[in-house]
Parts: sequence; structure tokens; C-alpha cells
Amino acid sequence: MAVLKGTLDVLVLKALSWSPMHGFEILTWIEERSTGRVVVEDAALLQSLHRMEERGHVESEWGVTKNSRRARYYKLTAAGRAQLRAETARLLDDADALITVLETKRT
Amino acid sequence: MSGADRSTRGVRAGVRRLLRLPLTTTARARRDADDELEGYLDARVQWLVDRGMSPEDARAETMRRLGSSPEVVRSQLHRSAEQRERRMQLSERLDDVWQDVRYAARGLVRRPGFTITIALTLAVGIGATTSIFSAVNTLILRPLPFPRPNELMKLTLVVPDQPAFRGTDQMAWSYPKYVKFRDVQPAFSDLTLYSAVAITITGDDVERVRGESIDSHYLPILGVTIQRGRNFDAAEVAQPDAPRQVIISDALWKRRYNADPSIVGKTIEIDAEAFRVIGVLSPGFNGLSGSAELFVPITIASAQQLASSGSHSYSLLGRRKANVTVAQAQAATVLAGGQVSAAFPDRMATAGQWSAKAQPLDDARVAPIVERSLWILFCAVGLVLLVACLNIAGLLLGRASARGREMAVRLALGARRGRLVRLLITESLLLALIGAAASVFVALLGTRLLSAVNPTAALGVRGPEGLVVVSFDTIRFDGAALAFTLGAALVVGLIFGVVPAFFATRSSLAAVLKDDGRDGSRRRGLARMTARRGLVVIEIALALVLLVGSGLMIRSLANLLSVDLGFDGKNVITARLSVPPGTTTSDSLPAMYREITARLGALPGVTSASMTDCAPLAGRCSISTFILGDVLIPDPARLTPVGIHRVTPDWFSTMRVPLRQGRMFTEGDRINTPKVVIVNETAARRYWPNSSPIGQRVALGQGGMDSGTTVIGVVGDIRQRVDSLPIPEVYISYNQAPRSAALVFVRTENNPSSLGAAVRRTIHEIAPRYPVYDIQLMSSRTAVATTQARFSAVLLGLFAAVALSLAVIGTYGVMALTVEQRTREIGIRMALGADQSTVQRMVVVEGARLTIAGAILGLGGALMLTRVLSFLLFGVTPFDPATYATIVAIVSASALAASWIPARRATRVNPTDALRNG
Repeated sequence: MAVLKGTLDVLVLKALSWSPMHGFEILTWIEERSTGRVVVEDAALLQSLHRMEERGHVESEWGVTKNSRRARYYKLTAAGRAQLRAETARLLDDADALITVLETKRT
Repeated sequence: MSGADRSTRGVRAGVRRLLRLPLTTTARARRDADDELEGYLDARVQWLVDRGMSPEDARAETMRRLGSSPEVVRSQLHRSAEQRERRMQLSERLDDVWQDVRYAARGLVRRPGFTITIALTLAVGIGATTSIFSAVNTLILRPLPFPRPNELMKLTLVVPDQPAFRGTDQMAWSYPKYVKFRDVQPAFSDLTLYSAVAITITGDDVERVRGESIDSHYLPILGVTIQRGRNFDAAEVAQPDAPRQVIISDALWKRRYNADPSIVGKTIEIDAEAFRVIGVLSPGFNGLSGSAELFVPITIASAQQLASSGSHSYSLLGRRKANVTVAQAQAATVLAGGQVSAAFPDRMATAGQWSAKAQPLDDARVAPIVERSLWILFCAVGLVLLVACLNIAGLLLGRASARGREMAVRLALGARRGRLVRLLITESLLLALIGAAASVFVALLGTRLLSAVNPTAALGVRGPEGLVVVSFDTIRFDGAALAFTLGAALVVGLIFGVVPAFFATRSSLAAVLKDDGRDGSRRRGLARMTARRGLVVIEIALALVLLVGSGLMIRSLANLLSVDLGFDGKNVITARLSVPPGTTTSDSLPAMYREITARLGALPGVTSASMTDCAPLAGRCSISTFILGDVLIPDPARLTPVGIHRVTPDWFSTMRVPLRQGRMFTEGDRINTPKVVIVNETAARRYWPNSSPIGQRVALGQGGMDSGTTVIGVVGDIRQRVDSLPIPEVYISYNQAPRSAALVFVRTENNPSSLGAAVRRTIHEIAPRYPVYDIQLMSSRTAVATTQARFSAVLLGLFAAVALSLAVIGTYGVMALTVEQRTREIGIRMALGADQSTVQRMVVVEGARLTIAGAILGLGGALMLTRVLSFLLFGVTPFDPATYATIVAIVSASALAASWIPARRATRVNPTDALRNG
């Protein structure tokens, strides 16, 4: 599926909660974790990272990948961690509500 | 990403790199975004290649996965990166500023003495300046609250020989002269006639109020609105004996009639006559006289009264036609005035014919003497502020020196110079803001104090001019004053903070850390020292100028207060009594007055009681024409004006005015006995220089004394104005010339103020319905005549004292610093055998040098500037040597005293320690 509106940010934060990563690493992590079910657009991912850096949820620094290429590494800030927790709880709650409605059977 | 892509957008960036300029935010953001994207795409290509794809296929797949074309994606990323950079930079800057503020605040808290000194100095300096500024703004600068105020002009008659009597050549209008002027003048589109009156509201609760009699043009010209009812109708009030109608003010409506919604149409009793209320004015307007609560038509007077061309009691205001300039209006007024004068010639004028003049209302809003005093006070307080700022600058410079080391270390550790300067400026601004906040309190207090004083009333400005639109009690601490405060604080903070900031950050680490400070740092230290010394010299000079000014004012005031007024007002209490018209005949007045004075004289503690029709020094006594001889005839060569007063027989003894010749009035001088007058010494000298006036015949233009009147006595002179010589005066007895207005004077053995209630009660036993008001000690009335001088002297003295204190503090600071810096030298001298007194002398000589420099500068300044005070001075010139000598002595002594403590401290220097530590 294409990523649900508004959920890209929280997925990126989740990825970064594992360890600092650069853009492409985040993408492969999300696609692997969702066993290919979530598809993220490249441009959208990078823009999401810029947005979250502006808001202070992540911070960045230039680093070197294992292939000796220059890449912009992102890592979670304390504010980002808090945001991840809050957003996760909210989304799970919303999902639960949806599921409850959709799974009601006719009796 | 190909190299070609990079170069197209990188030309400008390349140039900047060539010139070693930092990239702009935008360029940097774009470059980062491009690099990031490039890295990202390369990573995918590598990932695909690792999983077995060929490099070319991998690249194609990567481009396909991108979704849109690379240019579109790049511009999207540029946008998001730029926004990120901008917002993050802004927040970083704000963080920096907040950090600076917190650091500065911590620094200030750590040095409470420094901070409080500066804050207090600023508070007093700026607060005082703002208070005076509010006064200046309210009284002089702010536009008058009327529509198109620059078109309004005040018109007066001009009487050539009046200045000796009233201090001004302006005269009010009489009704016939106004009518003539109105008919012949070409320059004014609208005119209004008005006059301040004192009215008694009779009825249940007798109350004396101030009011104005006006015509139907008055309210429209001034743009005053009516909240209930209507204005006077022009046709209704065009003729004498106009209907008894009244318009009341909002304040009176609320206070006395409880905002009765049906007040319009009701009748109220004024001076024992019924008047119908036809309107209530909108709140806030109290007439041009400043305190009017009700307004009646001028034309309620009888035709006979309105036809009296010699009864000058009206003020005239005009609105210039739009196409007429001020100069043209003034010229036209003079011409029209000539025509009025020709129509109503003054046969008794001795110094030329009357004329008329016009003046923009703005120029007439406060008496010239008050206006000039205000500007002088404003400049004086500005000087105080300057001294305060110089002190602060010195303190900041001193602090900057102390922090030179700290700044050098920071610079060496990599701080940007701009950042350090910003830090220091933040400190100065924070100090300035604290000072500004504190100064708001001082200013609020100051404006309240100023508005409690009311010199305009004291000066008797209400005479013919009658304009007190803007009075001292409308001084408020308003938006303009607040803006002034904040602006002044900002300017002070910036100027006196920035300069030391630059000095402080210029130091280089090595030079500052070197202890013995050779070349560079010593030169810098010396430069700062010289700067501080220069500041102190200027402070001393300014303090001296202010002190000379206030010294002259104080001497002037002392001269005024020591003028022999001709009477003794101590232990005398006074009250005004007025008999409302129509309540009694003038025949019964003498008996009533006699009874009143007898009963008052019988009160416990009272030694004497009497009455007269106008108080000395009020500037409002009447003038009459006077001639030597049997009968009053209109011969200009022989008629002269004299002051005329009515008195009860005991008045001279109540006021302790000496009798020089002849006798006083007695109860035997009544209406049907021969008419008698008493003259004062000035009159006696002038009109009978070689003989005694006793028994001579005179004739007066008032009081029924126009024939068959004899002089029976000569009394001592009483001054009518504190600052001018007595004028010839004539006294007549109330018993022979009754008048329904009187001032009661009661002399007691002690504590006259406790008698106020008793006086009113006693008078009301005899005359229950007549208002007794304006109960004051005679000494208060006298004091009022010198209010202007006292006001200026006190304020100037205050400013001078503050300036001197600040200069002394500044001197002390500099001397203390000198001693500190020369500790090593002192140690060497002492080790080489100098004793304590030598060391002390060294310091004191240093202080003396500063003092002498400051004194010389100050003297020069004082000589140049004090001549602006000459119009305020009495009995002393602006170059009075005694004052100057005293002030120079005071300033020198103070400055030397300031050097005293540092000198003592210098003697306690331990030579060994000094040599070791430097």
C-alpha cells in the first residue's frame, strides 16, 4: 500500500528509534519491517525528514556510509521520542476504533 | 547528479567561495539538499547493484522509482530545505538573544550595587524629565481640543496706560464695543463673547459655583456637543432681557441633580431667579475659564447694563476666515479696534487711545511667564539627565575596563566579536529597560505633584484674559510621555552602552593578560581613565551651571518674600461674603456689615474684625478716576487713575496698616454725613507733594464721591503686586458707599485656622442665606502671589542638588579608581620615604585639578546661560557675584570632599603589598 496520509512521520521516527540512519536506510527499514506492504515515495520521505528537523524532532549531521559516500544522518531527539510515543498511542487507538466498527458482524 | 547540474546552480556560490564569503542561507540549504538527494540515490543504486542488478539498470530503476523528474524533485527538496534552514536559524537567533538576556540578567544580579545605582539614576533622571515633559506637552505642545484650533484667535482691547495697575495692557470688552467691532471687522467668520461669572444656586442647598455667560455662538465655535436638550437659540438671546435659560455641565448634572433624566425643562433657582434648564453638555467641557459648571446667556442683563460702554467684562474669541492669514487678521483687528475706539472715545485716557489686538489662541493658552518657566525647567532637567547619563557612562566604562580580561579570553576562545558586542549591548539595554520601568513610577509621581500645583491661578491670569483652558490639573502621564520615557531610555542605553562595548572588545588577549601592562594596554587604560576624568569634569561643570541658576532663583525668591507688603497678614483669617442681587437693599448693607464685624469681633480669641472689597496682592482690585478739586470733570489733563477700595472703619487696624496723618473712618461717617476718603502715602506724595492732603477736596469716578469729598487721612502703602511699587490708592467707607461683595478679615491672637467654621456660623446668624466661601488664611493668599517664584526656585534647587550629588558620586568614583591604579606608584613613594600627608596631598591635588577644570568650564557655561533667567529674577542680576562666589565655593568643597575618602585610603596602602601586586 502507499503510505497512509499523516503516518509517514511516525514511521520515520519509529525507524530512527532503532538507531541513527540516513534517508535510504530509513526507507529500506520501513519497507522491510512492513514486509513490503508499505511503499514510501523518495521525495516524500526526504521532505518529511526536513520538516521534522525544522520542528526539532530529529537532528542531522553529515556522515560517511559504509560505502564511503557522504550522507546526511538523522537521529531522534528527546522531543522526537516523546512525539513518537504520543503519535503511536494515538494511531493505535484510532486504528482500534476503526477495527471495532469494521468488524461488527450482523447478528 | 551530474557535474553539469552542480555548475549551473553553483556559479554564484562559486564566486562567493572564491571571495571567501560565506554561502547565503539559501545557497547552503540548496547545496545540502542536492548532496542529500545525490547520496540517497547513490545508496539505492548501490543497494540494487548489491542485489545483482547491473549498474545501468540500477540507475534506470532508481530514476523510475523517483516518481517525478529529477528537476521537480530537486526543487521540492530545495523548498523544504530552505524553509528548514530559515526557521531553524531564526529560532537559533532567538535562543541566542534569550541566552544573552539571561546571561546579562545574571551578571546584573551578581552586582546589585552597580545595577541598583544605575537603575535609580536612570529612574530619577528619566522620570523627572518625563514629568516636566508631560507638563510641557499638555500645556504648550498638544493641540487645543477644538475643531481647527489654529483658526481660533483671542481678541482683546489694548489700553495704553494700564500696565502699572494690572501688569498688562490687555483689557476685556464691553458689550457696545463688541457690537461695534462685530459690525466692522472683516477677518473673522464667527465671533463669540463670553465671561466668567460666579453664581449662587439658591433654593434648598445654597451653593456657590463658577459659570460663564455666553452667547449662542460659543458652543458651536468650540465644537462642544450637547448630550441632552439644545443650545441657546440665536434669535431668543439676541435682545437684552433674554429669557432666563441655563445650560449645565455634565459634572454639575451628575453631582447636584443626580443625573436626573428629565432635567431638561426643569427650573432651577440662580441668584434668587428662576432659570429653565435647556441643555446638558457632554462630559469633559468646563468652559474656556476651566471651571464653569453652568452657562447663562449674556443677554439676560438689562438693556441698560448692556449699553454701558465702560463696563469691560467680556472676553472675545474669533474664528479666522479660511482665506485670511494670522497676520492679516491681526492687522484687520487693529484697524477695527481703531474704529471702535473712535466710536467710544476714552476722554480720560492719558497715554493715548485704546486699540484692539488679536492673538492665536494657541499662544494665549498659558501666561508667557509660565510657558518660559516650563521650557527653562525642561532644559534644566535635561541637564540633570545628562549628568546622570555621564555618571552611568563612567560606571559602564569602569566596568568595561574590569571585564577587558574576560572579553579577551572569550575572543581567544573563539567567540565572534559581533556576538560579544551584542552581549554587552544587551546588558546596557536591559539596564536601560529596568531604569525605564522604574522611571515610569517616578514620572507618575512627578506628574501628579506637578498637577497639584497651579501657578496659573496664582498669577491672576483670570483677569481680562480669562482663559484657563489648559490648566495644570490636566497634566497627565499619557501616551506621549510614556513614549518619551521609553525613547529616552533606549537612547541612553544605546549611546552609553555601545561605546564602552566597543572599547571592551578591542583588547587582545596577550596585552590584557600581561600584568604590568606595558604599551598597548596601558595606553588603553590611560585613554579610558582620561575619558572618565573628562566625564567628571563635564559633570562638575553642569552641576555648577544648575546650582548658579537655582541660587539666583532662590535669592530672587528671598527678595520677593522680604518685600514689605505694607500690612501684617499673620494670624488673620479671611472669607468671602456675597450678597445675591435682589435679596437686600443697599441701604441696609452698612447696618448688616456693622453687625457682622461686631459679632465676629466678639468671638473668643478675636482681636479685630473688618471688611474690604478686595484683598491685597490679588491683582484684581478696582480702578477709578480721580481728580483734585471739588467736582469730577472730564478734563484729560487733570484726571488720573487710582486704585479704589471700600473698607469698614477698622480694616486698617485689623491689617496693622499705619496711619500717617489725619484720622481713620469712624462709625460717624455715614451716608448722610460729609463724604470722606483716605489716601495712601504714594497718592499723598504724588498729588500733594508740598502740602498735606488733609482737608483737601477731591472727586472720584465711583462710589458716589464725584463731588464734595474731603481727604481725612493718609495711611501706609500696601502693595498690590509683590514685584512692583505701590500705586496711588484711595479708600472709601462701606458706610458711605455700600457694595454687596466683601471680604471678611478676622485677626486672632493665635491659631486663626481654627476659626473658619465659627466665622461662617457667625455670619449666617445674621445673614443665613448668603454664601460664605473661599475661607483662607491671609498668609495663604499672600503665598499664592509668590507661587510662581517658589515653584521655579524649588524645582531648580532640587535639580541642582541632584546634579551636584551625581557629580560628587562621579568624582568619588574617578578618584577611587585613580588611587587603585596608582597603588604601585604610591607604594614606591612610601617605600622611598614619603609620609602619609604627602600621599594624601597627591590625591587631593589630583582631585583639585578636576574640580578647577570643572569649575572654570561651569563658570563659563553659567555666564552664558543664566541670562535666560533674567525675566524670572527679582532684585538680582544674572551675573550676581555673591551668588557665583558662593556656588563655586560649594562645588569646590563638595568635589574636594569626594576626594577625601580615596585620599585616606591611599595613606593606608602597604608599600610591600603594593610593590608585590602592582
